[in-house]
Amino acid sequence: MWSLKRFPALWLLPALLPVALMTIYPVAYALWTSLHSVMLLFPGEPFVGLDNYKRVVSSNYFQDALRNSLVFTLLAAPLVVVIGTLIALFLQRRFFGSQVVRSIVLLPWVLPGAISAVLWIWVFHPSFGVLNGLLRDLHLIDGSIPWLTSPRYALVSVVVAHVWTQIPFAVVLLMAALSGINSETLEAAAIDCRSALKRFRYIVFPEIKAMIVVLVVYNALTAFTSYDLVYAMTGGGPGTATTLLSFQIWRESFSMYDFGSGSAVAFIVVAISAVLIIAITRALPSDLFAEE
Amino acid sequence: MQRGLHPFLTFLFASLIVLFTGGPVILSLIGSVVPDRILLDGSKGLFSEGLNFETYRYVFTGQLPDFYLAENANRAMISDAARQVPQSLLNSGVIAFSSMVLNLLIGAPAAYMFARYIFPGKKLTFMFLILSPLVPAVALVTPVYIMLQTLGLVGTQAGIILVHTAKALPFTVLILSVFFRKMPSEIFEAAVLDHCNRFQTFFRVALPLALPSIGATGLFAFMLSYSEYMFSMVLSGDAATRPVSVVMAALARNTDVSWSLLNTAIFIAIVPTLVLVIFVWRFVVEGLLSGAVKG
Repeated sequence: MWSLKRFPALWLLPALLPVALMTIYPVAYALWTSLHSVMLLFPGEPFVGLDNYKRVVSSNYFQDALRNSLVFTLLAAPLVVVIGTLIALFLQRRFFGSQVVRSIVLLPWVLPGAISAVLWIWVFHPSFGVLNGLLRDLHLIDGSIPWLTSPRYALVSVVVAHVWTQIPFAVVLLMAALSGINSETLEAAAIDCRSALKRFRYIVFPEIKAMIVVLVVYNALTAFTSYDLVYAMTGGGPGTATTLLSFQIWRESFSMYDFGSGSAVAFIVVAISAVLIIAITRALPSDLFAEE
Repeated sequence: MQRGLHPFLTFLFASLIVLFTGGPVILSLIGSVVPDRILLDGSKGLFSEGLNFETYRYVFTGQLPDFYLAENANRAMISDAARQVPQSLLNSGVIAFSSMVLNLLIGAPAAYMFARYIFPGKKLTFMFLILSPLVPAVALVTPVYIMLQTLGLVGTQAGIILVHTAKALPFTVLILSVFFRKMPSEIFEAAVLDHCNRFQTFFRVALPLALPSIGATGLFAFMLSYSEYMFSMVLSGDAATRPVSVVMAALARNTDVSWSLLNTAIFIAIVPTLVLVIFVWRFVVEGLLSGAVKG
């Protein structure tokens, strides 16, 4: 690590400027909106202070949406990273057909989100769905399970679909990180340590930890702030079983035309995601954020 | 790493992975060559009726499928949007490729600085980059639209490219700096001893060594742009300039559209992208596994 006396503007500004352009004004605008009463149907935009926030927090959907969002994130983000790591470790070895499997893993990636939703609706479809058909053929169930319309299974079903869409990204980056490990280290470890689990714990994991932290942060953020897949699959139902907090930003703004409340939900989401990110980086300390 | 797993276990795991990641897509392939009336009729088998490529013919030539011309056919089963798929793929390709190139061009130097140097303002700028994607996109659609309108970029591909580049950049920088950090510092010390300045070290030593990782990161930036929906929808103009995510969403939300036509559109949309992604990914994997970045 070398020290510089001056800020290396030539290296950093090209990257910082577009991000600043797309962040500072829009975020300031959204923050301003959240403190004013901005409704399409009423003229004027009077300052209302924290009224929007109060209304949102005391609204009837807030508790359910917050709980669903947290459960969704706490299930989806670790699942993506754990399954992604397992697949990456597995695909690292060569076997007959490994090239084909490595390519098929990328499939969920090339499907636009709206399409993933349609495909999974058909997997979970109560009468024509493949999942129920398969379970029926295996004689595990008699009738059909309404995966997306029963409060018990709906959230789990959308988590499965969401995890599916995010797997390729995790696999790609973890395989890249895995192959960055010095091969001599691995060979030495293979001689010294017979247990594959221990080898992973003490040799492999520390090497890919930084990437895993990046992936957990990215996936927690994606799970907590995106809603399009869930919305396309269940519309937030049945009842409020799959209503996510991030979906309420859209609903308040573009369905109720109450842009003030919509922005207020957005900043509640920002605050919680910030807490999530800090918690993740604390729980999994890595040299990524260290100054050295 | 080569030993350990029994061949049967290898086969089992491989099948599970293929079934999970590829399963829904295989369903869609079957759906694209089988007319709806057979698909939804349990008594008719998939293979007894033979394959049907009429929906493919429709997308490319505009000649209507036979089932549509039948007496009692639902007129809404066929949507013009399906015919926009090939053009929209091209649009998406241009947008995603530009976003990827921009991301790597301006992201790699920044990531290199963050990974290997200490400088005043480092913590502040790094935190800014990490925290900038926190605000959900839905809340930013309106102000971004207003801003791009004043810049005259609404309805142009440049506007979408700008938004997608800025959206992916924080993650590109983060991911690349992980890779740059993992490189052994001896290499860089040797470069300095050989009187390489900062630019030479970056271009001659760091970049070539990181090439496979840069490929993986480029894939990420490409796919983020390719699959982004909300900004693409708000900022794109008429049908001729729409990216594939917008066209496919329009098709998917139209519940009247014939299932086989939708699947045909899905298939036409994913094959070119899949070929491209596999091509880059294979280069990445080969580069990585052959030890290009190993110390």
